[in-house]
Amino acid sequence: MKIKRRDFLKITAAAGAAATVGLPKLNAFAQTGADKAAVANNGEWVPSTCQGCTAWCPVEFLVQNGRITKVRGNQLSKANGGYVCPRGHLMIQQAYDPDRVKVPMKRTNPQKGRGIDPKFVPISWDEAMDTIADRMMELRKAGEPEKLMYMRGRYSSTATDLLYGTLPKVFGTPNYFSHSAICAEAEKMGPGYTQGFFGYRDYDLAKTRCLVVWGCDPLSSNRQVPNAIAKFSDILDLGTVIAVDPRMSASVAKAQEWLPIKPGEDGALAAALAHVLLTEGMWSKEFVGDFKDGKNLFKSGAAVDEAAFVEKQTHGVVKWWNLELKDKTPAWAARKTLIPAEQIIRVARAMGKAGSACAVWMGPGVAMTPRGTYASMAVYALNGILGSIETEGGVFQSSSVPVEKFPEIKETFIDELAKKSGKGKKIDGRGAKDMPAMMGGKAGSGVVTNNVANGLLKNPDAVKVFISSWSNFNFSCTGAQRWDKAMAKVPFFVHMVTNASEMTQFADIVLPATFAPTEKLSIITNMANLHGHMSIQQAVAKPLWQVKAEETEVMWLLAEKLKARGFANLYDYYASFEDPETKKKPTDAAEFVEIAARISSQKVWNGKEKLKGDKLAGWTEFRKKGIYNSETYPYKKNWGKLDPTTGKFEGKFKTETKKFEFYSETMKKAFQEHAEKHKTTIDDILKASGYEAQGELAFVPHYESPKRHGSVKEYPFTFIDYKSRLNREGRSQNATWYQEFKKVDVGDESWGDVVKINPADGKKLGIKSGDKVKITSTTGSIVTTAKLWEGVRPGTAAKCYGQGHWAYGRVAAKDYAKAEPRGGNNNEILVDDYDRLSGSTARNGGFTGVKIEKI
Amino acid sequence: MPKQYGMVIDLQRCVGCGACALACKTENNTQDRAKGQTFNWADFIYKEEGKFPNVKYTAMPVLCNHCSDAPCVKACPVKPKSMFKTADGITMHNEGRCIGCRRCQKACPYSSMDVGKDKAAYSVISVNDGVAEPHPFYRDGNELIKGCTASGAETAKQAGDVPPHRHDYSHHDYASVRKKGVAEKCIFCEHRVKKGELPNCVVACPSKARIFGDLNDASSEPAKLLKKYKAMRLKEEKGTSPNVAYVRNFRGAKKA
Repeated sequence: MKIKRRDFLKITAAAGAAATVGLPKLNAFAQTGADKAAVANNGEWVPSTCQGCTAWCPVEFLVQNGRITKVRGNQLSKANGGYVCPRGHLMIQQAYDPDRVKVPMKRTNPQKGRGIDPKFVPISWDEAMDTIADRMMELRKAGEPEKLMYMRGRYSSTATDLLYGTLPKVFGTPNYFSHSAICAEAEKMGPGYTQGFFGYRDYDLAKTRCLVVWGCDPLSSNRQVPNAIAKFSDILDLGTVIAVDPRMSASVAKAQEWLPIKPGEDGALAAALAHVLLTEGMWSKEFVGDFKDGKNLFKSGAAVDEAAFVEKQTHGVVKWWNLELKDKTPAWAARKTLIPAEQIIRVARAMGKAGSACAVWMGPGVAMTPRGTYASMAVYALNGILGSIETEGGVFQSSSVPVEKFPEIKETFIDELAKKSGKGKKIDGRGAKDMPAMMGGKAGSGVVTNNVANGLLKNPDAVKVFISSWSNFNFSCTGAQRWDKAMAKVPFFVHMVTNASEMTQFADIVLPATFAPTEKLSIITNMANLHGHMSIQQAVAKPLWQVKAEETEVMWLLAEKLKARGFANLYDYYASFEDPETKKKPTDAAEFVEIAARISSQKVWNGKEKLKGDKLAGWTEFRKKGIYNSETYPYKKNWGKLDPTTGKFEGKFKTETKKFEFYSETMKKAFQEHAEKHKTTIDDILKASGYEAQGELAFVPHYESPKRHGSVKEYPFTFIDYKSRLNREGRSQNATWYQEFKKVDVGDESWGDVVKINPADGKKLGIKSGDKVKITSTTGSIVTTAKLWEGVRPGTAAKCYGQGHWAYGRVAAKDYAKAEPRGGNNNEILVDDYDRLSGSTARNGGFTGVKIEKI
Repeated sequence: MPKQYGMVIDLQRCVGCGACALACKTENNTQDRAKGQTFNWADFIYKEEGKFPNVKYTAMPVLCNHCSDAPCVKACPVKPKSMFKTADGITMHNEGRCIGCRRCQKACPYSSMDVGKDKAAYSVISVNDGVAEPHPFYRDGNELIKGCTASGAETAKQAGDVPPHRHDYSHHDYASVRKKGVAEKCIFCEHRVKKGELPNCVVACPSKARIFGDLNDASSEPAKLLKKYKAMRLKEEKGTSPNVAYVRNFRGAKKA
């Protein structure tokens, strides 16, 4: 833009208007006057909850004249200290996204496929719900309710029980799946099979003296971003930050040590660090125990007599040493990881020096790989060696808050047909011989989200009615093209979303969903910074569109419609709810929403519970403050004790031995059950599921070599996928602020999408920064922009997940009408593969080889 | 001594997350980048040094430096000046007197008349288009799915303002949304400071990396930091005496 003064005068003259900009001459003489009367409405901060990442931060919105104008962390929150990360601010643009679905709509073009216009037309809520109820009743009438499938994307941690936890049971389908396994589930296998805690960890960052950030970037993502941001600099001052990541991340940029590991070799590095910690006598004597005579017998290459070591809180450290660690020297690991042996030793010593104040913060980069369970265990077990489990500066299980469950779904609400059909086989393939999915210590218990597409493709008749909420699997799952194919075959798909996403293009009915943080009444629970929290999520301002909350309002409406068609069980169950104070039963959707929220939250405000956290006088105060913080997590909460009367050790970890298992009896048991079910051996299961270990090695954390799709010859680059600090789970790309500040992702470019390769590789290929390139894997190709960048190792190519929307909205997509993407979606080149022990989708660990060509 | 408001940015505390810049946009209703103007009163520059694996990366938040010897003020041709120094040392812009001549933007060593053409990483001063109303994004009536999805204009209409999230405040020198044909830039959130509040980028920073206060008061937090650490200022050689200073390094210091 250029406006010279002369042109400017012309413009204003042409506009003829003091009304537009005022006459410049007059302007120039204007006096600085007193302020206008103070703004009538300074506004009010209204609490709610951000769900832009998995931290679920309690927040507050400034509401002025019924409009949402600003956001901040809930000032009472102990999880985030009253701050939001950059994601928080993007909520404002999401709430006021110009491409929100404002009314229910239906498809008028029966043809389905990527790039095919569904020709949506607006319909009433009544028509939409009638259509859905009719289609569902057809399944009941045909005696095949199992052909209803529900998949949840982002959800309310309490209200999800009213949809995910209720509809399939009452209607009679086993086919309900969570999105969980496409993100980070394999992370849980480390703490799960060592400590009996299948969950995401917390940290005592205020007291951490050595922080090992591994396979994640806590300054950008991974479950407590504002807390990590707040405390990072103090750790740099008072101790050491070590970052293990194949690419330069924000944490790497600030860390004192960077270990740019070769993708997928995390297990090797962990084994070598453990090797050094043990051979140099730096294990925690308090947690692990010691040799009987106090002499360290851990010598490289030498087996140790198990009887020589007396363990305290742990089980099997010598077995682990003998089976795995004794030969895993730094020199061996240096060859695998490409990290110099001296650096491995230096880092191990820094960790050992901090001891139980060293926290190893493991992220999905370690675990979400085809053999990731064992890397997850190996990296997490370092916390066990250091004894940093629930210690000052260490690693913690999650804090919790008391949630009241919804009334039990009694037998009376589940008819014979539902009972029978509900027990059928799930189409995600969990529990198959080659898909143990043994989350939680039990085979067949983990969801295999991404395998649903394969199930649908294999058996297109399995699902006739598919309902999904706040999901976009055609964008968020690896091997994304499979979802395009699978969804094109689903006869009737109902999508409850805020925006017409990629997956929505396959919908028959679209229901406008609330944008949860600003429009949905619900109760959310989570934890960070050694505190659990319960926070409210509510309509902070009047929603602009005909939106409804999927788990409560929409379910109530559906229940009414099903009742009108002779199937009343869902309605009868919901209508049996009682308000915890007035005992009033819901008579409409609005009452149902409020009663549900009051039921879930009642324990923190009804004054009947003995709580050690915040004191709240009642629902009104809870709603006004928006938060309940639990007490601080006590140190060593799950450490066992020697019972002086019996002389027996009483452990508290939820493992088979009640101890921290370096040799996982818990895993052995799960394996045995799975092998028995399939009438085979554990070794056969391991082989069928693609793991290298055989025999006893399968029960200890150990090194498995990385799997790679595509030969190095044909696909020379190893692809690195990682998360954006602005991604709100793939939903924020339609915000102009996301695009404008995309550059805050280290090495990225605003309003763009870049693949970063080392300048040496660029030179070899004749590629310069800014060149358009095609990236191809064995699965597919995407087109993006090249950037030469020293923050990646030669031979690797790093690209942030997030861009590449070909739908969603006018900003997210380059051209919505033409289904043209802005940049490329990593999931179209990442191969559909799994860590089969957990059922998790692989997206890290260098399992996808790519070639890069200038176009 | 009169006040001199200024800011110290502790680069070791800063993580480059962008929350400050986004919080600024929500506070001051700055519009989207267009026609060579960023409208980012708070922005970032990046420095990358070295070769793999010895690479150093620095993110630096940038904003108006509120120079003591401000070229933008000198260049302002109107009387009294539209761009001027307040008694507290803030480089203030009076929107009412601005004639949109852009001399301030040309004179400022931290600004660019067209960031696209100049390949500039940022510009402290932006100038609103002389023809189009601000925030065209929320004036666009186009619906992607006719009758089903909203539009920018309908969103603004339903919410009752442009932009729909307009943060409502008043100040005698500038409007909460600047009008056509005038310059705009960071004014240290003077509408907040005069109420005893800190600029919004400061309160929104999750790492507390931005420290605001009176640099002439030795007991103020920023003055203490300037005493404790060696400070760096952008383009000091231009002799404008910037009042935004940077201390420490983005990367943590190695332990001996």
